[in-house]
Amino acid sequence: MSNLYNLSAGEAHRGIIQGDFTAEEYVWSIIGRIERVEGKVHAFITLNKENALVCAREIDKKIRTKEVVGSLAGVTVGIKDNISTHGLKTTCASKILENYVPPYNATVVERLQNYGAIVIGKLNLDEFGMGSTTEFSRYGPTHNPWKVDYVPGGSSGGSGAAVSSRECTISLGSDTGGSVRCPASFCSVVGLKPTYGSVSRFGLLSYANSLEQIGPICRTVEDVVTVMNAISGHDPNDDTSFSSRSSVPYLSINQERTPSSIAIVKELIDGCDPAVSKTIYSALDKFKEFGSECTEISLKSVNYALPSYYTIAMAEASSNLARYDNIRYGFSFPMEGFEWNTYISNVRSNFGEEVKRRILIGSYVLSSGYYSKYYLKARQLRSLLRQELLSNFAKYDLLVGPTMPVLPFRIGEKIDDPLKMYLMDVDTVLANLAGIPAISIPAGHSNGLPIGLQLMAGPFQEQKLIDAASLLDNAINIKGSPEI
Amino acid sequence: MFEPNSNICPICCGFPGTLPLLNQKAVEHAAMISYALGSNIPEKIMFYRKNYFYPDLPKNFQITQYNLYGLTSIGSAGSVCISDSKTIRIRRVQLEEDPGRLSYDSGNIHDSSHTLIDYNRSGVGLVEIVTEPDFTDPREVRYFLNKLSSILEHLGVCDTTLEGAVRCDANVSLKGGDRIEIKNVNSFREVEKALTYEISRQTSLSTRNIKINSETRHWDEQRKITRIARTKEEEQDYRYFPEPDIPLIMLGKDFYTHIGRLVPELPDERLSRFKSKYTLSDHVANILINSKKLADFFESCLTIYYSPVEIANWLVNDLLALIGGEETTLLDKMKLEPKHMAELAKLVDEKKISRSTAKQIFTEVFRSGQAPSQLLDRTDSSQINDENFIANAVDVVFSSEVSAVEDAKVNSSAINFLVGKVMKITKGRADPKIVTQLINVKLTQLGNS
Amino acid sequence: MALVSKDELIHLGWISRINLSEEEIETFHHQLDDTIKYIDVLETFSSENLSLDHLEIVFSDLREDKAIEFTRELIPKSSRAQQGYVKGPKMK
Repeated sequence: MSNLYNLSAGEAHRGIIQGDFTAEEYVWSIIGRIERVEGKVHAFITLNKENALVCAREIDKKIRTKEVVGSLAGVTVGIKDNISTHGLKTTCASKILENYVPPYNATVVERLQNYGAIVIGKLNLDEFGMGSTTEFSRYGPTHNPWKVDYVPGGSSGGSGAAVSSRECTISLGSDTGGSVRCPASFCSVVGLKPTYGSVSRFGLLSYANSLEQIGPICRTVEDVVTVMNAISGHDPNDDTSFSSRSSVPYLSINQERTPSSIAIVKELIDGCDPAVSKTIYSALDKFKEFGSECTEISLKSVNYALPSYYTIAMAEASSNLARYDNIRYGFSFPMEGFEWNTYISNVRSNFGEEVKRRILIGSYVLSSGYYSKYYLKARQLRSLLRQELLSNFAKYDLLVGPTMPVLPFRIGEKIDDPLKMYLMDVDTVLANLAGIPAISIPAGHSNGLPIGLQLMAGPFQEQKLIDAASLLDNAINIKGSPEI
Repeated sequence: MFEPNSNICPICCGFPGTLPLLNQKAVEHAAMISYALGSNIPEKIMFYRKNYFYPDLPKNFQITQYNLYGLTSIGSAGSVCISDSKTIRIRRVQLEEDPGRLSYDSGNIHDSSHTLIDYNRSGVGLVEIVTEPDFTDPREVRYFLNKLSSILEHLGVCDTTLEGAVRCDANVSLKGGDRIEIKNVNSFREVEKALTYEISRQTSLSTRNIKINSETRHWDEQRKITRIARTKEEEQDYRYFPEPDIPLIMLGKDFYTHIGRLVPELPDERLSRFKSKYTLSDHVANILINSKKLADFFESCLTIYYSPVEIANWLVNDLLALIGGEETTLLDKMKLEPKHMAELAKLVDEKKISRSTAKQIFTEVFRSGQAPSQLLDRTDSSQINDENFIANAVDVVFSSEVSAVEDAKVNSSAINFLVGKVMKITKGRADPKIVTQLINVKLTQLGNS
Repeated sequence: MALVSKDELIHLGWISRINLSEEEIETFHHQLDDTIKYIDVLETFSSENLSLDHLEIVFSDLREDKAIEFTRELIPKSSRAQQGYVKGPKMK
């Protein structure tokens, strides 16, 4: 019973439905796990234990009385702390929202709860989603469960680590430039960034709204499918979510179809650590064994991808974060004695340094003298990149490569060089710029440190990703959890 | 009026994680305004963010439209005729969101300890209409604004009489001088005054050879002057960029036609129709058209009793006199109904009552809401046509007003005095034509004797 | 030569309403400059009048004009001024 926390969502849900154990027992197991390892991992900002138990008991009651329950009934989910949870503090790991309790649920949370999932807590992140290591959290970094003085990736580091350490069964993260896939790769779990517009952003505290999507981080591909089927689809509260279900089809598992042709991007594989590329090439070999045709291609616009990404992301961030002036919500900062502009400037000096940097650069690139030089160019490049990628998807089923160009590194190693940090997103930003889906799956380890394989597909072709991921999952068979 | 912050939600208060949702009717109404102002309506429109910090702006940016990188607003290149010889060109029509409303605990911005914010109207749709600098006189601006109000009223998309419903920024420059912007004039009526003041201010500066530099001023309605605005530190850089949360809106090729079908008869068309179909004079027709409510009232009367010239005159002269001319809002609340007006006009046309009786009854109907026929029954004010009856009355007057009669024999204008006297003793009920006729006959008889 | 001067940085702080300390101005100056030099590579790309990608929505899919009340308390009454106004610092 005490190892119930190891189960996948599918296994846990089936066990509860079949009566092998109750939801309450299962949640107790999770709580116990958290109590034992959270001190080392530090994945959570806020825990929701009492409430979770109440929900678990309700699920048990429904099952006893033979009421219909959803496909995630009883499953514990961790929610990245930049996604609104009604009545549960949502801080974005920032001092500026220290006291903020949302008066409404994000659509994705509402949907998960409708399917019976139980919110166990809010997960740590880089402040406002800005970072790749979760070191920019005001609450301190999350630690990689595989090696605790190493980074778990970011910005959804808490989401990646908690699933990896079995402190929750599934989690939601948000991915603006790789923030779901990076922690999935560094923590050896599965993370999906869906096609832009397939999952509602209502309730996600915006960092870069034309780039980001909420995505699941789970231990199995099957769980990713279950979560996606629960959260995806049109939301009338989000006009950027696609309006017809036919555009955003339900996904299915157990298909294990071999992709007929896959391509690997030269510029991306050439740019990564040897330990990483070795693992990626092994994975590619597996695909070849299954019968896929593998080709190396060159994408010229890849060289502009990072500058384009950062220009657009920071520009949007500078505007999206303007609303945090502590007038309607925020933290405790008395206004007596202040004049308006001085007050809000002092309030906003409580942003962390990375957030401040991005806001300043964002304001810079949107300034009237520089708009055409940076922002407009970045947008044009984005269109070009998207065209280039889409034309390749006409020829290839999938684009394959490393999720991260490097292995996880020690906490504190790269924190003093913002630019070095930005360069780590080179593999992941393509999917955000083009709005296409991308998944990271565990591909191997090097010196005990996880390596992730990234698969990208055309818009709304998540099924191709799932099929290939399932295939590889069974072939590579990386199981096992970190010893914490 | 709503209590402050009694009508708010997370979206209009810019709460974290909320997303804007464009209202279909707002787009439709804005398009109707574009259409009515003779503007082009594009097949696609887009929204931008205008970024600046201000207490009334919950997100510290405003969602608006912007045309620097191609035409994205709901209307452009339109025109409005304000007279036979003058047309004002419309540069653009755009849709944007309203910020909140600020007030100050001490009543004014200067000595308040706090700024007070009411978000009730935050996020409400606004239409901004920008003209080309085609006005050469403040009066033209007044004509234009009147025309615009009438168009808006006819469209049924905006009640321009509601407090806070319209705001105006006026820009004025003298030849060779920079443009001065006068912000936030709160009613159309004040605009002409503000402009007149500003022109004379600029003229006096320029005759003293003082250069007029580009600046922003405020119209002080109490003191009737423009004052330099305090908040202008430097030219604001709004860092416009396309709003990522609102996709490009595809209106489509048939949208213009669709809007055309929604737009009702506009003032210009209605004016022509009133003049041709109802044979109304230019003057009368214009007054009716000036207020949609009045024009509607007029046409309602006609459906009951068709006497356009008669009814029009009643409305333009008598009714407007009673309600004070400009206050056509009172038309909604008045007790006079089209059926009353129609009935009265019919009575006059059929000579059942004299015009002066009718005028008296009119006032009474307006005040009480009772039908003319009811009032007539009570006071027996039907017109008297009986010549014998009137002849008697004439005789009575002639015997009592001897000197007046003598005057009337030589001075024909003195006849009116006698007519008046006969009307008085018949309590206004005698048919004045018959009275005059009989008086003239009697005078002739007397003259011959 | 720096792409962003210290004065420009201070100005950026003002338009973003972030009060920057002396220390921050020092540190950020270098970091921002590095980043902007990096994104400057965008200049080497010739735009060829590329049109921008946009998400699209058709007019008929826009939100219906229906009032939906939000009944929960949004801004606590305890923090409000008289008559229910939201309180903010005075304007200069």
